[in-house]
Amino acid sequence: MPLEDFAGEMDRCSQCSYCKWIPFDQMKSWRFAKNCPSIAYHNFNSYSARGRYAVARSLIRGQIDYTDTLRRIVFTCLTCGSCDVSCKICRYNLEPLEMVRELKFRAVEDGQGLDAHRAVIESLNSEQNTMSQPRARRGDWADGLDVPRLPAEKAEVVFHAGCRFSYDPDLQATARAAVTLLKNVGVRIGIMGERELCCGGRVYSMGYRDAFTRFAQANVKAWANAGVRMVVTSCADGYHAFKRLYPRLGLQMEVLHTVELIARLIEEGKIQFRSPVPMTVTYHDPCHLGRQGEPYVPWDGVEKKILNQIVVYEPRRPRYNGAWGIYDPPRQVLRSIPGVELVEMERIREYSWCCGAGGGMREAYPEFSLWTARERIAEARATGAEALVSACPWCERNFTDAVGTLGEPMPVYDIVDLVQKALL
Amino acid sequence: MDEKQARLREIVGESAVQEAPGLEEPSSLAPTLIPPLRPHLLVRPKSVDEVQRVVLWANQTQTPLVPVSSGPPHLRGDSLPTAPEAVIVDLSGMKRVLKVDRRNRLALIEPGVTYGQLQSELQKHGLRVIMPLLPRNSKSVLAALLEREPPISPRYHWNMLEPLRSLEIVWGNGDKLYSGSGIYRGERDEDWQEGRVPVWGAGPGQLDYYRLVSAAQGTMGIVTWASVKCEVLPQVHRLFLTPAARLEELLDFTYKLLRFRLGDELFIVNSTSLAMILARQPEEVPSLRDTLPAWAVVIGVTGGEILPGERAQTQESDIRDLAQGFGLPLLPAVPGCRGSDLLKLLSHPSEEPYWKIRYKGGMQEIFFLTPLERTPAYVATMLTAANNHRYSALDIGIYIQPVHQGVCCHCEFILPFDRKSQTEVQRARELFCDASLQLFQQKAFFSRPYGIWAPWAYNADAQTTAVLRKVKEIFDPNHILNPGKLCF
Amino acid sequence: MALPRHIYSALEDIVGPENISDDPAVLDSYRYSLAHTAIHVGPYYDTFTPRGLAVLLPGSTEEVQAIVRLCNRYRIKFKASSTFWSAQGYPSGDNTIQLDMRRMDRILEIDEKNLFAVVEPGVIGATLQAEAMKVGLNTHIPGSGCSCSVLASATSYFGSGPSNLYGGWYYDNLLGVEWVMPTGEILRTGALGAGCGWFCGEGPGPSVRGVFRGLTGAKGAMGVFTKCAIKLFPWPGPDKLPVEGTVPAYRVSLPENFRAYTLAFPSWKAWADAVYLIWDAGIGYTAHRQFNMFGRDLKYAMVKILTDPTRTLGDLEELLADPEVQRVTEESRRDFQIVLAGMTPRDLEWQERALDEILARTGGWKVEAMNAPEIHDWTLLYLIRLGHKNLNLVYGGGYDGCFGLFGVPDFGTLHVEEAGEFKKEWEKQGAIVAAGGDCMMGPIGGQGGGGTCLWENFTHFDPHDRESVEGTREFFDACSEFGLKKGWGVGMEKWNAAAIGPDGRTPPKEVRDRIHLSAPQPSIYRYQSKIRKALNPNNLGDAYYETLDDD
Repeated sequence: MPLEDFAGEMDRCSQCSYCKWIPFDQMKSWRFAKNCPSIAYHNFNSYSARGRYAVARSLIRGQIDYTDTLRRIVFTCLTCGSCDVSCKICRYNLEPLEMVRELKFRAVEDGQGLDAHRAVIESLNSEQNTMSQPRARRGDWADGLDVPRLPAEKAEVVFHAGCRFSYDPDLQATARAAVTLLKNVGVRIGIMGERELCCGGRVYSMGYRDAFTRFAQANVKAWANAGVRMVVTSCADGYHAFKRLYPRLGLQMEVLHTVELIARLIEEGKIQFRSPVPMTVTYHDPCHLGRQGEPYVPWDGVEKKILNQIVVYEPRRPRYNGAWGIYDPPRQVLRSIPGVELVEMERIREYSWCCGAGGGMREAYPEFSLWTARERIAEARATGAEALVSACPWCERNFTDAVGTLGEPMPVYDIVDLVQKALL
Repeated sequence: MDEKQARLREIVGESAVQEAPGLEEPSSLAPTLIPPLRPHLLVRPKSVDEVQRVVLWANQTQTPLVPVSSGPPHLRGDSLPTAPEAVIVDLSGMKRVLKVDRRNRLALIEPGVTYGQLQSELQKHGLRVIMPLLPRNSKSVLAALLEREPPISPRYHWNMLEPLRSLEIVWGNGDKLYSGSGIYRGERDEDWQEGRVPVWGAGPGQLDYYRLVSAAQGTMGIVTWASVKCEVLPQVHRLFLTPAARLEELLDFTYKLLRFRLGDELFIVNSTSLAMILARQPEEVPSLRDTLPAWAVVIGVTGGEILPGERAQTQESDIRDLAQGFGLPLLPAVPGCRGSDLLKLLSHPSEEPYWKIRYKGGMQEIFFLTPLERTPAYVATMLTAANNHRYSALDIGIYIQPVHQGVCCHCEFILPFDRKSQTEVQRARELFCDASLQLFQQKAFFSRPYGIWAPWAYNADAQTTAVLRKVKEIFDPNHILNPGKLCF
Repeated sequence: MALPRHIYSALEDIVGPENISDDPAVLDSYRYSLAHTAIHVGPYYDTFTPRGLAVLLPGSTEEVQAIVRLCNRYRIKFKASSTFWSAQGYPSGDNTIQLDMRRMDRILEIDEKNLFAVVEPGVIGATLQAEAMKVGLNTHIPGSGCSCSVLASATSYFGSGPSNLYGGWYYDNLLGVEWVMPTGEILRTGALGAGCGWFCGEGPGPSVRGVFRGLTGAKGAMGVFTKCAIKLFPWPGPDKLPVEGTVPAYRVSLPENFRAYTLAFPSWKAWADAVYLIWDAGIGYTAHRQFNMFGRDLKYAMVKILTDPTRTLGDLEELLADPEVQRVTEESRRDFQIVLAGMTPRDLEWQERALDEILARTGGWKVEAMNAPEIHDWTLLYLIRLGHKNLNLVYGGGYDGCFGLFGVPDFGTLHVEEAGEFKKEWEKQGAIVAAGGDCMMGPIGGQGGGGTCLWENFTHFDPHDRESVEGTREFFDACSEFGLKKGWGVGMEKWNAAAIGPDGRTPPKEVRDRIHLSAPQPSIYRYQSKIRKALNPNNLGDAYYETLDDD
C-alpha cells in the first residue's frame, strides 16, 4: 500500500504520544515505562510513531526533502511494533507499524537507503544471506547432524535455521540442539542445509520490500517442492516472516516456532526432563514472536464510515495489536524445566522492550542498537535473574554483545539451551 | 475640620468618619516591636461604592489607608498604621451575611461578619464553616480567611486558601474586580436557583487574584465580600483526645490520621494551650496545665447529612484501631478535659477574654509552617530559648495544626505575658525576637510575615520580593494601602 | 525565517548538538494539526501550528535559564511543552523556538509522610502514579489522561479530572514551584524560595503563584516551569496494579475495598440531587461522567467493544441492534461513574451504605450490566489510571468539546438536554458522529470535595474529511451563538479562539480585543497584560497568555 494511502492515518493520528509508552495500564515504575527505543534514545518527537506520521505527511506533501536527519528518523525505527500495540489501546483505525514500514519502503525506493543496509542487500543478492558469508557454508552449522537434507531427502517438517543461526558460531549449537531434540522425540524433521535461503524478514524491516518478496517466493516454492507440511524455526524474525508475511504471498503450510513445538511436546508428555537446571531466569519476548507473532488473517476490504463519521472497514478488518502473539509457550517451557525459576521483567508480552537488533539497527546504528539492548539488560538485572533467556538468535546476539560492553556478566540463553541442559 | 475629613464625610457620611481614633491598648508585643503612628481618621464605609470612592480619593491625595475588618484586640500589628496621616478603613460595620445557599454550601459574607454571627446563621441552614482554633469573638471571618488562618479540620483544607472562594476586591488603584466566579454574585434569586453562583476561588483567567490579596495584610486591595465554602452541620459530633507525654509519640499516629483523612477536627496542643482554652479564669491555667496531659491530639468525628451515626461510628472505630496500632489511647476525656466540653468550646469563637490572652492579659504568637516531623526540633529550640531568656517554658502554649490535608502544619508558640509588667514584657520581647530568629534560621517558614518577620522573609527570597513589588505596582501603584508592611 | 547560525550555535553550546535541531523533518513533527482536534479553537482543515525555528531538548534548569536569557538577548520567542498533548502546547506565532522538556523527566522525591512528590516536566501521571502506589499513595491525573505531564497540567493548564473529588485537582495540589521566568530569573515559590522545602507554595505574604496560574495557567507563554511539588493522597490498594486481561481490554481486580459503579437516575434533577448528596456525605474516590463521551446512544455498545479484545468498531452497528444493549443504553441515559475506595473495610462498608441511601433518596440505581466482572474491573482500571483517555478520538480521530456547562450541578443539569438536543439536530447533517446528542462528560466534583461539574459535550469528527471538519466548525460556531442566546456564554469550543485562528496563528489584535471585550470582566485581560509587561517585558511568549491592551 503506497505511503500516500496512509494520508488518512496521518491526519487521524491522535497526536497523543501513547506510542512512546508501554500501555499505561501496565506501567509499574518510572524506570521501565517507555516502549519505543527510538524516541527514548533520540528524544525528538520525530523519532516516535506520532512524529513519523507527521514526517511522512510532510514528505508526501513535498514540504520536506531528504536530509541525513530525515534518513535517521526513517531508519532508526526498529519496527519492533511497540508503538503499534500502545496506539491500538485506544484506536481501531490506525496502523502505525505498517505506516512506518511503508515510509522505509518509500525512502529506499527514492534511493535514500543506507549504505550499511545496501551492504546487506548485496550480500543477500550474491550469497543469499544477510551475514556477508559464503552461501556454500550455510549448511555448515548442521555438519554431522543425522537429519534429512531437503529436497533430496524427504521430511514432513522443515527446520529453518535462518541466517543468524547458520553463520553465528556462538549460536550454531542452539540450532543443532533444537533439531536434535525434535528429532529425538520423533518429529520427522529435515533441513535445507546449504540450500536454505534467507527468510527476507530482516531486509523487509530495513525497507527492501522487493528483495523480501523475491526470497519469500523462492522459499515458498522450495518448501512446496520439498513436500513439507510444516515450517519450524528457532528464529523469531523468520517466524514472523513465515507466519505473517509469507501468507500474503501464498504460503499455506503450518508455521511453528520451536518453543511452540516444544511446549506442545512437553504437554503431550513426549519431552520429559531429567536434570534440574537450578537457575533464576527472566524471559525476553522477541518482538517478532510476541506482539508481531499473531497469525495472518486474509483481508481484502475498504474503509467505510458508519454513523456519519466513524471509520470502519468493509468487511471487518483483522486487528493486529499483539493480543494473540506467542507469549505463553516459552513461559510454559521454562516453567516445566525443573529448577528453573522464571521471574518476569516489567515490560513483557505485547509491551516488551525490543532487543535493539531489528529494523537494520545492528547494521546501521550499532551504538543505538546496543544501547537498546543494554536497557533491556538493566531491566533483566532488576528482576534479580541470573540469566536472560530469549527465543531468537538476533536478540541473543545483541544482548550478548551488549553485555560485553558492560562490566558485569549476564548469561544470555536461548530457551532451547536450557531445554537441552534439562534433558542431559 | 480639615479638607480630607470633609471629603471623606461626603463619601461615607458624617457619622462614618471619626477623627483621631487613637490606638487600642496593646495585647501583644506588636506595637513595641514596630511603633505605630496614630491614625488621622477612621472611616466606616457601608458599601463597595463607598470603599471604591475612598480608595480613589486616597490615590488622589496620597493618603495611606489601613483596612481593618475585625474588632479588637488586634494582635499582629498589621492593622496598626506605620505611615503618617493614615486613615483607618474600618469595615467591621459591613457585616451582612448576604446569602446562605444550602444546596451549594456557600455563604456570601461582608468583611465585618464574625465567626459567631456566621455560624449561627449557617446553623439555620444545616451548615457550618470550618474555623480556626477558637478565633476571637470580634474576628472577621473574611480577614481570617484572607490571612490564611489555618482551620482546625484539615480534611476540608483542599488548598491553603480554603474555604475562601470568590471575592469582590477593590484594588489599591480603585478598580473593582470579582475574583473566582464572583461575577456570578447572585444578586438575583434566579441566579442561585439556576446555579450561577460564586463557587470558584480560582481565577478568573490566568491570574489568581485572591492569592494576590491573601496574607497581604491589606496592602493590595480591600475585599468587600467573599463567598465561603461551608460544610454540613454534623448531627453527630464527638471529640476525642489522644494524650502523650512527648510530642514525638504522637507524630506517626497523626501522620496516619492525615494520610487517611480520618478525623474532622485534628490538631495537637500542649497542656498550656489546652489549659488556656479550658480555663475560665487566669488563675485556673497553672493547675489545669498540671492536670492535663503534656500533649494531646484532638480528634473530632462527625456524621452529617447521610447516616450520621454510622458515619461517626465508622470513623471512631477506624481511628481507635489506628491508635491501638501505635499503642495510643483514644479517649473521650483526659484528666482536666472532657472531649464534649472541649467540643462545645471549639464550635464557637473564643469566649471572652480571648483564650490566648486569658492567662496573663497579653501574649505574643510565633507561628510558621513546617512539615509535621520537624516540629519537635522547633519545640526544642523554643524551650531552650525560653530557658535562656529566663522565661518559664511551662507558660508557653504550643499549638500544631496540620494544614492542606497534611502536607505541612502550622506550628504556633503562644508566649503569655503580663502586659502591665515591664519585666515580663521585656523578657517576652527578647525571647520573641531571639526565638523567632533562631526558628527562622532553622528553616521554619514564616509564610505570613508579620512585623519584624517581614524583612527576614523578604530578604531571604529576593526573587519573590521583586515579583511582589511588581505586582504591587500594578494593583496599588501609589502605595496607598497599608504602607510599611511586608516589602512595600 | 531561519534561525541565524550564530544563535543556533549559541543554543547548541547550551544543550549540546544532539539536543537541538532545525531540520525541517524534526520541526514538522512539532506542529499540531488543527484539523485533528483543535482544543477549543476550530477545527480548521489542513491547518497546522507554525513551524518553529528550532527544537531544543534542555536537560536542566540551568540550561533552560541560559536558553531563556539568550532568547531575551536576541528577542526570540520561545515556548516550552512537556508532553505536547494539545494544540496549546505548540506556538501560536511564527519565529518561535520550541523547548521539548521530555529529557527533564525525573521524579526527584516522593515524601511519603508529608504526602507530596517533586517532579520535573517530563514526568507523566502514569509514572508518578506507579511510583506513588509503591508507598501507598496516589496522584491526581487530569482529564487529558495519564500520558500528560503532571507539571504542565498543574502549573500551566487546567488540571481537572476524575480524581478531583477525593484527590483534589492540580490547582489544589500544586505546592512549591521552580519557575524560570520569562526574563530568565528563577523564582521559587513559597517555602521553596525561603529554602525551607517544597511543602508550601504560598507566601511569604501574598502568593506569587497567583501571577502564573489562575483558573488556568499561562500555557507555556510565560517562562518555563522546571520543577514542582504535587500533593498526593492515599492509595489503599496494592503497590502495583495487578492488571489482567488481553490487550486492550485490560482490567484490574482490586481488593474488596474498591468498587466501581455506574449510577443512573430518572431525571436530571435526581442526578443533581445525588451529586450534591455524595459531596455532602464525602464519599467517593473518583467520580466522572466518563463513558458518555462516546455518546448517549453509543456508550454501552462501546463499552462492550472495549471490554472484549476480539471486537472492533466494526461490531458497533451489530451491537447497537442488540435489544440488551439497547435496554442498558436506555437505562443509562443520565449516568455517571463513581469509584469507592475504602481506607478500611469499615470505611467501604459505610460508603456503600451511604451510596445506597443516596440512591434510595433520589430514585437512582446502579446499572447492573456495568457490574459484570469484566466490565467492573475494566472500569476500575480506566478510572484509576486514566490510561485510555485517547478513546476520546476513537471514532474518526477527531474530537473536541463544546458548550462546557461549567459550574454547579444545577447549572449543567438545567441545560444538558437542551444542549444535547441542539447537537443531535446537527448530527443529522452528517459532519459529526451521530452519537445521540448528549455526549456530555466531565468530573463529578470539579474541585476538591466537589462543588462543581464540568460538562464538556464531546463532538466526534473525521479530521481527514474536509466536509466533516468544516461541518464541525460550523456546528461549533452555532454552539457559540446558541450559548450566547441562552445566556450560557461562549462555550469551550471557542475557549482558545483568541489565541489561535484559522491559519494556526494568533488572530489580529482587533479580533482578540473583540473577544476579550465581550468577556464578563474584560479587566482580567488588562491585568494579564500588565503582568505580562511586568514579568515578560520582551513579550517572548505567545498569545495563549491572553491580554487586552486598550488603555
